[in-house]
Amino acid sequence: MIFDSYEAYNQAGFKPKVCILGSGPAGTTIARKLGAAGIPVVVLEAGSREFSDDSQDFYRGKTVGDFYFDLDITRLRFMGGSSNHWAGWCRVLDKQDFEPKAWAPDTGWPISRADIEPYLGEVHDILELPAFRPDIPVSDDIRWVQLIKSPAVRFGEKFADELDKSRNIAVVLNTYATELTGDGKRVTGAKLWSNGQDAGTFSADYFVTCTGGLENSRLLLWSNERSNGGVVPNAAALGRYWMEHPTFQGGNAIVANYSEFEVDASNEVFFSPTLAAMERLQIMNFGIRLIESPYPNVKKLIADLACTAPNMAEWMSSQLDQRLRCAAQLYVAWEQAPLASNRIELSKTDVDHAGVPRIELHWKKSPLERRTLLEGLKLFGATMAQKNLGRVRIDEWISNGGDYPTNEETAGHHHMGGTRMGTDALKSVVDANCKVHGMDNLYVGGSSVFCTSGQCNPTTTITALACRLGEHLGKVIAV
Amino acid sequence: MSRFISKMSRRAIVQALIALPALSLFRVRTAPADPDEIDPDEIVEINGWILRRSDLA
Repeated sequence: MIFDSYEAYNQAGFKPKVCILGSGPAGTTIARKLGAAGIPVVVLEAGSREFSDDSQDFYRGKTVGDFYFDLDITRLRFMGGSSNHWAGWCRVLDKQDFEPKAWAPDTGWPISRADIEPYLGEVHDILELPAFRPDIPVSDDIRWVQLIKSPAVRFGEKFADELDKSRNIAVVLNTYATELTGDGKRVTGAKLWSNGQDAGTFSADYFVTCTGGLENSRLLLWSNERSNGGVVPNAAALGRYWMEHPTFQGGNAIVANYSEFEVDASNEVFFSPTLAAMERLQIMNFGIRLIESPYPNVKKLIADLACTAPNMAEWMSSQLDQRLRCAAQLYVAWEQAPLASNRIELSKTDVDHAGVPRIELHWKKSPLERRTLLEGLKLFGATMAQKNLGRVRIDEWISNGGDYPTNEETAGHHHMGGTRMGTDALKSVVDANCKVHGMDNLYVGGSSVFCTSGQCNPTTTITALACRLGEHLGKVIAV
Repeated sequence: MSRFISKMSRRAIVQALIALPALSLFRVRTAPADPDEIDPDEIVEINGWILRRSDLA
């Protein structure tokens, strides 16, 4: 069932066991799992069926530190959430992404990749993916990894019919949960805002916040402030360890035989370091993306190489004549070191139309990440040269320690951390089952539970974790 | 040391500074690497390019 207003939902007399906040990939997936298990669940979606400027305005906020996107641009507030502008790249976090890295504090998850692997079959159905192939070693240092360009499932569109026909799932649009109330053991209700006014308090046995990698922290910070710690009793890490995937053009490559790496129509190829290389260089994970260059850029690049290595440039030039394509731009996206100082705070001066403080995001890239960018490109360049696969040129601003450009990709619009998973309540917010420490009936879904980010897009892992949480919750409720 | 310098004339100090770059002419210079010992596969970074030494031939 889908209701366009809270008032319409109220008239239906539906009695849910579980209340899910947010209808993005995590919220929709958990709802479908619970609905399939016969558990009545309501999904409260703050936005409507379509994009609207009025709805987006609730997401405005401020960033302090490094340059970042406007907070009302980097995510979407309507049915299906940010899946509505997802590019569709899919890969699950690597096994090593779940392991602690001795050289990077506060890394490591309380679960391993094996814990989410049983759900990958479901994830492939949901995201319409073919099977992943294993990584292919290029050298001892570099792996050729696969990111599948999926059809970019819009969860709101894809599942609207199924949700509408469901007798166990009620999706309520235009209904904003402004705060949760709690007594330090249980969430007792959610205060609602609908049609521009307070709409009372909603109650259910269980609550799952799936409002996104920024909004989950905002909701819980505000709820906790209003309830004097009654919603997140151990709040030391709440809003902290926030992460993105910084993404910048790092240079160019002339590739001897580009088609050797071609995997799909996107003509983009991805490389990552091996664990041994990360350990040796003490860097984070990264992904180098090769995007084929237009022909004039190739000629310019070869001319530049000719100044340094004329014979090599001549050979490359002959390759170009044969294939008309042999160069690529290199984009690097990397794993951020999880730092408590990268955090979401509540604005002290600015509130949204419902009176909820807006986000103040404190975000800075660390020296370890800067080293990851430079060493990563050197590592990739060395592998390309050693294996005679091509030659790499690193952009000057990286070699010379210049400032990050502000006119590039900047980051992946991947909002991770803030309610991270862990066993230490001082450094995490939820446990291995995504349940808020100290609370009996409050769970968190989505990338805000990520402990580390790895190098790949998060949606595949979000969906796998959501399948796992949906199944877990189903078992808890059945007991 | 500072007493020694203070007794030197300004002219002598300037002459000494001018002569400094020439001192390297008297240093023992290391012989250039034997071409046979150069590893053609060694990875070098020049002008931002990551190359094999043999690329520079």
